[in-house]
Amino acid sequence: MDFNALKAAIQNAAKKLGVTEYEIYYMSSSDISVDTLNNEISNFSSGLAGGLCLRLVMDGKMGYASTELMEEAEMENLVERAIENAKYTEKEDTVGIFAGSASYEKPNVPDFVPKDAATLKELALATSAAVYAESDAVQNGTSSAAMSSGCVIRLCNSHGLDLETSFGVNAVMAAAVVAKDGEVENNYSVKEMKDGLRPEDVAKEAVSEALAKIGASHVESGKMNVIIDGKQMRAILSVFSSAFSAKSAQMGMSLLAGKENTEIASSIVTISDDPKREGLSIQSYFDAEGVAAYRKNVVENGVLKTLLHNRETAKRAGVETTGNASKGGYSSPVDISPYAFCIEAGAYTEDELFALAGNGVYITEVKGLHAGANAVTGDFSIESAGFVIKDGKKANAVKSFTIAGNFFELLRSITALSNEVKFGVPGGKTTFGSPNVLIKDMSVAGK
Amino acid sequence: MLEKRLLEEILGIAVSTGADFAEVYCELTRNGRVVLMGGKIETIADNTVSGVGIRAFLGTRTVYGSTSDITREGLIKCARSVAEAMGDKHAPQNVVLTERVFPNIHPVKVVPSTAEMKTKISLLREACTAASEYDERIAQVVGNLLTVDHTIQIANTEGLLTSDRHMRTRMAVNAIASAGGENQSGSASPGRGMGLEVFELFPPKEIGISAAKQAITNLTADYCPAGQMTVAIENGFGGVIFHEACGHSLEATSVGTGRSQMCGKLGQKIANEKVTAIDDGTIPNAWGSVNIDDEGHPTQKNILIENGILKNYMIDRLGSRRMGMPMTGNGRRESYLYEPTSRMTNTYIANGPDKNEDIISSIEYGLYAKSMGGGSVNPLTGAFNFAVNEGYIVRNGKICEAVRGASLVGTGSQILQDIDMVGQNLDTAQGMCGSASGSVPTDVGQPLIRVSKITVGGR
Repeated sequence: MDFNALKAAIQNAAKKLGVTEYEIYYMSSSDISVDTLNNEISNFSSGLAGGLCLRLVMDGKMGYASTELMEEAEMENLVERAIENAKYTEKEDTVGIFAGSASYEKPNVPDFVPKDAATLKELALATSAAVYAESDAVQNGTSSAAMSSGCVIRLCNSHGLDLETSFGVNAVMAAAVVAKDGEVENNYSVKEMKDGLRPEDVAKEAVSEALAKIGASHVESGKMNVIIDGKQMRAILSVFSSAFSAKSAQMGMSLLAGKENTEIASSIVTISDDPKREGLSIQSYFDAEGVAAYRKNVVENGVLKTLLHNRETAKRAGVETTGNASKGGYSSPVDISPYAFCIEAGAYTEDELFALAGNGVYITEVKGLHAGANAVTGDFSIESAGFVIKDGKKANAVKSFTIAGNFFELLRSITALSNEVKFGVPGGKTTFGSPNVLIKDMSVAGK
Repeated sequence: MLEKRLLEEILGIAVSTGADFAEVYCELTRNGRVVLMGGKIETIADNTVSGVGIRAFLGTRTVYGSTSDITREGLIKCARSVAEAMGDKHAPQNVVLTERVFPNIHPVKVVPSTAEMKTKISLLREACTAASEYDERIAQVVGNLLTVDHTIQIANTEGLLTSDRHMRTRMAVNAIASAGGENQSGSASPGRGMGLEVFELFPPKEIGISAAKQAITNLTADYCPAGQMTVAIENGFGGVIFHEACGHSLEATSVGTGRSQMCGKLGQKIANEKVTAIDDGTIPNAWGSVNIDDEGHPTQKNILIENGILKNYMIDRLGSRRMGMPMTGNGRRESYLYEPTSRMTNTYIANGPDKNEDIISSIEYGLYAKSMGGGSVNPLTGAFNFAVNEGYIVRNGKICEAVRGASLVGTGSQILQDIDMVGQNLDTAQGMCGSASGSVPTDVGQPLIRVSKITVGGR
């Protein structure tokens, strides 16, 4: 595929059809993964995909059309479809296509280098072997994977803006099945392949956490102190992150609407959004409209400093865009997302946090967040597993209970934070992070 | 779609290094989406998905390659990469394809991809207006009209060459009720494997009112209490309980790899004798139906559990090899980017012996879950969860006040035994099920059932 030829075909069709303002957003991805099952290679897969989205302004309305058919003949069709879609759109477009930021600062990280098939095969097998070596309790059904996933985004428009970025992740995964004392449990661990990461580290985490679940009992129902592990808290933050979108707020779908410069969280809570967060392998320097991306505190010492904006929501609110325009996939309409959205670390070690909690529950697994949490209302009731906290120390495992509450109340009920932020493996361009979080008097439903 | 000769060449390359089977899946999909928000058409977008997936097997080892480059060169490159990853033998094979046509049991009257945009907009507006006008506390209504027109072509080294065209249409209305600084939401999202004629079955106005009514009910509801209780789960999306608690554990993806609580239990009593559960991809125009699955195998009606006894699993081609059992027409995938695996189609608990009124009147204190949300499961342990979108407390056999924010958690093997009453008003509802091969449309369903004891997550 010759991108410049496609771009020229769109340019010609646009001229012919009287379109003067448009944007081409092209995204291509390249994925490769090797899986093992029962300590043998079970699957190898590779994928190349590319799609192009055209946005154009016609008579004051924005029209979209996208395609994966990368043929010059398809481009005129694409322009016609986008014009047709603009014709029936009723919302006035208030911002048009972006001319460009004054300057762009590219991230200071090495270019993404994908791993080749042979390396991935070796890593998947080494990880699998490490899982089996970790414990005699490891059973068949155990799998591992090594994967490399890269993405290129190119954004160019009728104002002459032409930006390109590429990023990717290499990761290793272990999914251990263990059997002990007549019980079967499983757990998986996934980590980015970075310098110093050994397959044994991934294996150890998967196996030890699976074994820890054996013999789990049920917890009593009631209100209690709860520590949510950073890995789980970042998942909860991700589900409720849409509440920080100015679009949600302007649509009446966020309870944070109009709460800027008011206290929405405990004063120890700071939530930042940094497109170039140090240590993270995926970094961005422009958003899905071509606006330069930058770091900001969304919540600072409990006070909501800003919602996340794209150009349209910013104009409506009478503020500057925060450079958070996003697209879920190449064909998605422009929406809003954070980059590295993170509850910043607090002052305590994890052990000190247990001591502060005294008695309660430590949550190390949450499930079904897509169903059990509602970003519009803030309500959540989610399946959890973890450990009892007894006399300030982590005690026996517990499972099959729920924690329930309201996210906006939870933010206010955070009484302490651990001193290390745990970031996840990025999904697309967004990553979430959180330290362990101590919350007072949360509802737990067990037996 | 690809020419027969090119398909034969690609398959020949894919098996040239020792694979014992290869398959090509070619896709052209036109997705349409109209979004109405705050009374105005916010976005109209359409997207063409086009690509090919090539898969090779050697025993139970598989290699999969996918590409959106469907030029001859692009496809041959992809087939070569599959062959190279499979092995280094030189074992050329001559592949001869014979075209086969399967009957279309899902006729479509108004093809959504070519229907007038004005018609789509007017249907969506009718639903959203009805939702907005339902109550003055309805603060926002978002409506989506989603259409899919999906053509696939499948060829494999067993000589099969076939194609299918499948369409579906769905309207999703989300209503937000707001009062006293609080938001509550309600939604309704019916769909079928049909064109726009689906709205003869589901008048848009009713879709809108249904979403708004749920939002208002929740706005005035108190939080659900927590603890173990008896729960009556209503028909339609209530069937998500079977989907999560048991369905995923009956897929070959879990069973064939030894990662299911249901391994080795064929012929055993795994559920209360009142429970009969079925997966049926042949229901005309149902949301989860298709003529053939994404491996080119016709769908079928599979009785999974009969009167509490486990009768069958849902098995794709790889699962069939792993388990030594026949395929059941359940090999599905979201798109060419995904390797197919065993997935549900339309899965439901069949009508049982109990009268619905007896189910409610039998409960001294418990929860009536009128409308369910989604959920998830760990098939190995059977631990599942799902959300209650609209619930009511049952006291002395009567449905009383509405409660919100509840979820149900438990384990599949336990809940199947604890479904102790099964009613007679079977109905289905539509969902998008996410798993290893992406997001696929599935119907869930059941009549009103009673679960004697389950943990209700509330506060």
